[in-house]
Amino acid sequence: MAPIPHTLIPFLQSQSQNTLTRLYQLPSSCLSIYRLLGPLERQLVMSLLWLESSVPPSVMAGWVIREGKQLYEGALSTLSRLHIISSPVGKLALNSTFKTSFRQAITGSGTSGSFGVPAEPDDKHPPLAVEGLDGYALERWETILHYMVSSGTGQSPTKPSTGVLYLLQRSGLMISHRGSPLQITSAGFQFLLHSPHDQLWDLLLQYLHMAEERKMDLVEVLSFLFMLSTMQLGREYSTENLGVSQKAMLEDLRDYGLIWQRRPTSKRFSPTRLATTLTSSSPPLPTAAGTSTGPQDGFIVLETNYRIYAYTDNPLKTAVLNLFVSLKYRFPNLVVGSITRDSVKKALNNGITADQIISYLISHAHPQMRKNNPLLPVTVQDQIRLWELERNRLKSAEGYLYTSFTSQADYELVLNYAKELDVVLWENKAKRCFFGSLHLLPITPALKDV
Amino acid sequence: MPPRRDNDKFIQEDSDSDISIDDGVDVVKNVKGKGKATDAQRKRDKGKSKTKDTQAYTWEASYTRSWESVQEDEAGSLQSSVDDWMARGRRRRLLAPSTAIRRTIIRHLVLLLDLSSSMMDRDMRPTRFDLMLQYAREFIAEWFDQNPLGQIGVVGMRAGIGERIGEMSGNPQEVLKSIADRHKLEPTGEPSLQNSIEMARSSMSHLPTHSSREIVIIFGSLTTCDPGNIHETLDSCVRAKIRISVVALAAEMKICRDLCEKTGGQFGVALNEGHFRDLLFELVPPPAQQALTRPAGGAATGTRAANPSADLMMMGFPTRLPDTSPPSLCVCHSEIKSEGFLCPRCLAKVCDVPTDCDICGLMIVSSPHLARSYHHLFPVKAYEAVLSEDQIPPDAPKTCHACARPFLTAPTATHGGDGLSPLGRYRCPNCQNDFCSECDIFVHDVVHCCPGCGK
Amino acid sequence: MDDENGSHLSVVIDLSPAQWHSSAQPPPDNPYPLPLSIFLAQLLTFLNAHIASKHENTLAVFGAFPGKSVMLYSSTDPPPQTQVIDANSYPPFKLVDSTIVTRVMEEFDEQAEITDEAPNSLVSALAKALCYVNRVTLPTTTTSSKQAEGRDPTILPDPRILVLSVSPDLSTSYIPIMNAIFSAQKLKVTIDVCQVYGPESVFLQQAAHLTGGSYIFLERRDALLQYLIMSFLSPPSIRKILSVPTQDKIDFRAACFCHKNIVDIGFVCSVCLSIFCQPVPVCSTCRTKFPMKTLQRLNAARPMLPASTASPSRAASSAPQARPSTTPATPKTNGSSAAPPGGLPHSGTIGNGTARTASANESGV
Repeated sequence: MAPIPHTLIPFLQSQSQNTLTRLYQLPSSCLSIYRLLGPLERQLVMSLLWLESSVPPSVMAGWVIREGKQLYEGALSTLSRLHIISSPVGKLALNSTFKTSFRQAITGSGTSGSFGVPAEPDDKHPPLAVEGLDGYALERWETILHYMVSSGTGQSPTKPSTGVLYLLQRSGLMISHRGSPLQITSAGFQFLLHSPHDQLWDLLLQYLHMAEERKMDLVEVLSFLFMLSTMQLGREYSTENLGVSQKAMLEDLRDYGLIWQRRPTSKRFSPTRLATTLTSSSPPLPTAAGTSTGPQDGFIVLETNYRIYAYTDNPLKTAVLNLFVSLKYRFPNLVVGSITRDSVKKALNNGITADQIISYLISHAHPQMRKNNPLLPVTVQDQIRLWELERNRLKSAEGYLYTSFTSQADYELVLNYAKELDVVLWENKAKRCFFGSLHLLPITPALKDV
Repeated sequence: MPPRRDNDKFIQEDSDSDISIDDGVDVVKNVKGKGKATDAQRKRDKGKSKTKDTQAYTWEASYTRSWESVQEDEAGSLQSSVDDWMARGRRRRLLAPSTAIRRTIIRHLVLLLDLSSSMMDRDMRPTRFDLMLQYAREFIAEWFDQNPLGQIGVVGMRAGIGERIGEMSGNPQEVLKSIADRHKLEPTGEPSLQNSIEMARSSMSHLPTHSSREIVIIFGSLTTCDPGNIHETLDSCVRAKIRISVVALAAEMKICRDLCEKTGGQFGVALNEGHFRDLLFELVPPPAQQALTRPAGGAATGTRAANPSADLMMMGFPTRLPDTSPPSLCVCHSEIKSEGFLCPRCLAKVCDVPTDCDICGLMIVSSPHLARSYHHLFPVKAYEAVLSEDQIPPDAPKTCHACARPFLTAPTATHGGDGLSPLGRYRCPNCQNDFCSECDIFVHDVVHCCPGCGK
Repeated sequence: MDDENGSHLSVVIDLSPAQWHSSAQPPPDNPYPLPLSIFLAQLLTFLNAHIASKHENTLAVFGAFPGKSVMLYSSTDPPPQTQVIDANSYPPFKLVDSTIVTRVMEEFDEQAEITDEAPNSLVSALAKALCYVNRVTLPTTTTSSKQAEGRDPTILPDPRILVLSVSPDLSTSYIPIMNAIFSAQKLKVTIDVCQVYGPESVFLQQAAHLTGGSYIFLERRDALLQYLIMSFLSPPSIRKILSVPTQDKIDFRAACFCHKNIVDIGFVCSVCLSIFCQPVPVCSTCRTKFPMKTLQRLNAARPMLPASTASPSRAASSAPQARPSTTPATPKTNGSSAAPPGGLPHSGTIGNGTARTASANESGV
């Protein structure tokens, strides 16, 4: 089982060597990219980092246990596609730029200032406390999500800024039909059930794609994100050393809740927890100090009778639950509902899959639920899956119906050929006809021969 | 169908254990009050508990209003009260006398499994038989973990005869293998206590005198079908210093209780599945031996405390060869192997320890095997609870000496008493460092080594 | 390859001034001198690498000084608000480095005032590390909300302990070390050992072996950092793919209770399993009297051990160093515990074994 790489890695791999090398000049970027790598890749990088000369691949492969060969090869190719390792064939050595910068990052030397220049303490305006930052980040983030979830329900929640709206539209999470207000798409529904960390990276990835089009310097954008991820929560940093693109980013990131500034023109900014946990995989995201009363990441109790008790007063969580639960009562800190066929159907129609519902329920299960094994009642899990299967009674495929063969021999010849090509979806010997899919085009010339 | 008597029995067992805990506290209080409890006093306490032993039924014990001791805190939560309660319990356990108790560490045990038709009863799920096999496996694994130099043999009682299922062996895998196949052990017929005890006794008769001999009987039947007088067998077991413990699954039988009482073993009737397991696992730790022989004591103690003839044994601690070393022949199986252990005296290679060297006859044990039991011998001294703030020197650290957890700054009202520190500080009498209650428990239960003084 | 929650690393550093002094001596006696300052620099790099690997990785560092063990750093402590941020370094690295260096210097200053040399407290540092691991892996209900932090308490953060030792085995610490090993086994903690300087450590070898860790006797001390990173950085999950060096052979010798000698053949009390290096009439631990017959038999079993031969060796071993190899591994016979490669080890004769037993009797104090 190969670990799933971080969402940013494929994006980085698609960049040119030149871009990456420029990115690797900054120690903070090296550190952040290093953290995004899988555990095996990290160990490989570290093992090579302090070697002055390159290593023959056979020496390195000597460390690998036979069963791990495949994973090791995969890790090497990931690294070489990131241009961290010079090339997969030949001797193993780190990219010299990466090596220098990463060494600087680990030893804390160098003069790049890539970890953010702290602002001079300001006596008049002390920096916002961590709680304040958390509150700010949470409010911003939930505004976005809440806007998405309640679009089309007739409610009118606070609108996020136009930049955010544009990004949502660009990323295909929301769609506008000829000037009508934005509507959430099925991708958007799926997005809502992701973990906050994945959501954040999904959006940032879109932002990066957009930055390319907006002619922003991708290296600056990326390195600014990485710099943010290495900053200290609750500190203020100066904007003075930032590049042009980076200054332009300040406004966008403020809208997403990644950074906080007293005034848009302020010369200083503070990263929020959303930003500082960018490169950690299981962050205590949008902060523990929220409005919700229950424990942070577990608030759902699901019973075998399909009833669901959600200990939350957070409108966003309620709204997300409302996607696939038919809510019955609301109390100050508790929402009660039940999973019904109709509610799940509604969610499925929105493009949410059964697995997403189940994984959402699992990841937000109340600590009391965690004592159960299996965590969710099997009946409910199975039923949700069955409801999904109900929708899939018909499977459609485009193709051609081949019929009216003149002789049995003709029919069999064509059918066998089609079977060789693995395009036969259905056949009926008695009626001398079969249905072939579209996927393989060569069937057409073959038919001509017949 | 467990009769009512059975229930009563359990309760009595239970109250016994309560009493013994109270007893322990009494002893400790004596220690505190008068400096040192003399042996005689301890003895008297012991005697008292012995007499209570036979009378104190639950309905005779004084009426306790346990719920009144639970109090809500300001927030109306019971959590603090429950925590307090648990901490008290743990602490009480730790305060038990910490003097080195001699335990017989080289143990020999025969597990007597009832394989009579009564074991097919379904009053325990899935059946008594399946449950017994399952627990027996767990028991064997746990037993070898705690008694690494011990040996276990398995004997079955089936169709009126004793049946040797597994030979005495020190290898847990071998013992487990002997009871792995349930089809070979299919219960049938009547059990015979006498036959199987005789068989177990004879299999232990050759053992050196310094090792303990024990029989653990898991008995589901209410009858036994014996060829002769079982009391003679019992007497011969007493003479051979075999300790018999019985876990009965159905009800108490007089003969079973006699077997246990006369030989100094434990007797218990399992109420339910969980209780069955508890009773069985109580037999895992090595039985404590009275350090001094007291022939004048009661009949039961007299037999138990008879001086176990101790002996000095020569043992070798081997060097382990890794699986990358050049292969060579082992002396035990004459197979070419890389890994193995080298006898320190003759440098022969053996496959596994503990064993006797096939060349020079030296007993080869891995020293960690021996060391596993040392914490019984050198327990960490009990930490003293710091009772008031006056006892804390002004420059004392504010955090636990072991785990650096910060201490409470002000004493709490709910804590205190029962050897509990209101400040959550427990001080090592040796090195005068303070520890938090979690570390106190952890150090005494698991690490057995004070992080302050390193002893 | 579950890597969600980061891993915990506790490092126990042996900071015995005398040993570090001799470790820094120039080449003739010491082919690869390694002064403490360089060691610390490389160690800090290693620690940074551990923190760098995962945002959630936690770290605790314990120092073992003579007679005293100190927690030098713990990542659960809240960082001081006064910390100065340097634009060129990642703040957590800076914090680790400065905290450890300051604490070590403080302790050495304190040590300077104490003149009498106390035995090294590696054991108590190890016990502290275990208590700390116990604390971080099992957050209790009573602890503050800071620890809960939305993390599932049932998932252990994969704890490891790395012992960096420079001192020879202290035979008095045999039992405490064994106890520590067993509790590490119970907590499922891996103990890795790197013997940076000094002789091979029998006890630490056993510690690494019994807890599934890796023991490295550092030969090329100038390559310390590379050793550390290649062998000890990877959490156990990665070790299933990238192997780490294991021991070539493990010495299962024990220390006797009477003279704290490290013995390979000992005499064991059958009641309490105390180990003695020579037949004794009464067990010093449980006061069991042993039968005269046995004593005579055992004494007779050591014919090559007349009392006279024991005395010169006793004088010879009066040096304070209780080296683990006090057994004079007579090089001419194949008496050294390493089997000659290729040769069938059990071809050894019984005779030379008894000569080795004699050595158990030396250094009687």
